[in-house]
Amino acid sequence: MAPSATATAGELEPTRTAELVPRLRRAWRVARRRPASAIGAAVVGLFVAMALGAPWIARVDPLQTDWKLVRKAPTLAHPFGTDDLGRDTFARVVWGARISMQAGVFSILLAIAVGVPTGLVAGFYRGALDQVIMRLTDAWLAFPFLILAIGLVTIMGPSLTNATVAIGLGATPTFIRLTRGLVLAKASEDYVLGARAVGAGDLRLMSRHILPNIVSSLLVQATISIPIAVIAEAVLSFLGLGVQPPAPSWGTMLNTAQQFLDTAPWMAWWPGLAIFALALSFNLAGDGLRDLLDPRDY
Amino acid sequence: MFDFLVQRAAISVVTLFVISMIVFTGVRMIPGDPARVMAGIDADAAGIEEVREKYGLNDPIPFQYVRWAGLALRGDLGHSIRTRESVVKTVATKLPITIELAFLSLLVAVSIAIPAGVLAAVRRNTIWDVLTSGASLGGVSIPNFWLGIMLILFFSVRLGWLPASGFVPLWVSPLENLQRMIMPAFVLGTALAAVLMRQTRNSMIEVLSADYIRTAYSKGLAGRIVVFRHAIRNSLIPVVTILGLQMGALMSGAVVTEQIFVVPGFGRLIVEAVFTRDYPLVQGVVLLTASSYVLINLLVDVSYSLLDPRIRVGGSASGA
Repeated sequence: MAPSATATAGELEPTRTAELVPRLRRAWRVARRRPASAIGAAVVGLFVAMALGAPWIARVDPLQTDWKLVRKAPTLAHPFGTDDLGRDTFARVVWGARISMQAGVFSILLAIAVGVPTGLVAGFYRGALDQVIMRLTDAWLAFPFLILAIGLVTIMGPSLTNATVAIGLGATPTFIRLTRGLVLAKASEDYVLGARAVGAGDLRLMSRHILPNIVSSLLVQATISIPIAVIAEAVLSFLGLGVQPPAPSWGTMLNTAQQFLDTAPWMAWWPGLAIFALALSFNLAGDGLRDLLDPRDY
Repeated sequence: MFDFLVQRAAISVVTLFVISMIVFTGVRMIPGDPARVMAGIDADAAGIEEVREKYGLNDPIPFQYVRWAGLALRGDLGHSIRTRESVVKTVATKLPITIELAFLSLLVAVSIAIPAGVLAAVRRNTIWDVLTSGASLGGVSIPNFWLGIMLILFFSVRLGWLPASGFVPLWVSPLENLQRMIMPAFVLGTALAAVLMRQTRNSMIEVLSADYIRTAYSKGLAGRIVVFRHAIRNSLIPVVTILGLQMGALMSGAVVTEQIFVVPGFGRLIVEAVFTRDYPLVQGVVLLTASSYVLINLLVDVSYSLLDPRIRVGGSASGA
């Protein structure tokens, strides 16, 4: 009896392989209708390639100082100019992509890893547990992001890892709330009730029936959160609370650049433009993704 | 209505309680003896003993919490390690500067976002809509500290029109104060404007499709009157809520903006406190910021329910 019962429960949800082809077709349609999103996705891809291929793209060592090349304007050999220690700004911007991507992606993965299960449990069981979790979340949300990050960095000390953790913890309540709201909406749907009726346990209901149906909304939230996390890392590093020199983070580069605005303005252009371009393309791509996965909204 | 206010206030009290526990625990997570942490690296034995006595650091943790919270409620958040001034007094001298900055940037944000959002909604799917949506996306994506640096580069370094940094109190010279505040306020305001613009547009679009708007049009009212007298007012209610929720972002933004433009406000205070390991000051500032965020949002909810009598507890419970 039991195996057939689970098979019935499995048939109640849409099978994913059958959805792949129409989904790809829809992706192509969205890409054609929203060229800006397609370009955004392509630029995100470029940044990923830049982060992964940093050693091959930047032929110069980003930490190599050269006293003969202090604050030189852009030339063919150094297309983005050099900084106050004669380091190649181009190489530093390229390597900075790695740090930014790391902080942006891993912090949001952390937020998802903590927030989604918590929200799932809160929304699924409701009652007192839900109340406790939500009050904690409310309190957590009351700390403005940067103030929270500053508090955490004060306790843990400044570094890329700690900044990533701080950013991730800052983004966690958003995922708890979102997941809980989505679960509340899905838990009373017929297919969940049906699965429960044929004997699916709590864990199975959550992991096989509810989670797959809320994944697209979570994915959309992640694409919105990553650019925010990327900017957050830059801000923390800019304030000296994140990546420590001499590591090439866009935020630390801007911090140094601020001292030489009148003599070497190029030092401030490129790292900032890189953050802007990465955040903008993530947001554009995210808009397209929302269109693709969540066609009912908008 | 009354029930709603009571429940909303009760939730806020619980939230404040949890916040105080988080902050209390946070300080105890700093490695080392809490008495030494609170008294400072170069405090002598007497100083450490004084702190130990004041906060009852030899008592069990729950007692310590009650004592600490009691002092905090009476406005005693300890003393800055560096200046020996009381934390509350230090914050009180810095806060007006940040409030001025926040007010000016709110002014910038509202005066950009609301007209633009309304325009985008009324002229939906035209070039105006595309332009404002694009500007909004750009505003969300631009790191505001970089925008600040670029403004300094252009207006101060290149053109020499505005001083790059510093602060002159409003009562000393309003003109010089404004000259120095205009760039920070703009930087902080654009980030907020981007969010508000999108919210105004969406909420305006929703209102414009409501029945009473159709009725207003079918009565023969001019489009201008329908938009200004009927639609805008109703569409701004959700915008007020977003404004409350954005207060946190505004405080975070103030930290960075004050750092770039060397404005001696609240935000600069906390960064300095972190670097000088002034733990009582960090603790006090974090506690005050989170508490004021809760109180501001309570006020927003209260005003919201006054503006819109349809709001009932049910609405807030499902959103919680």
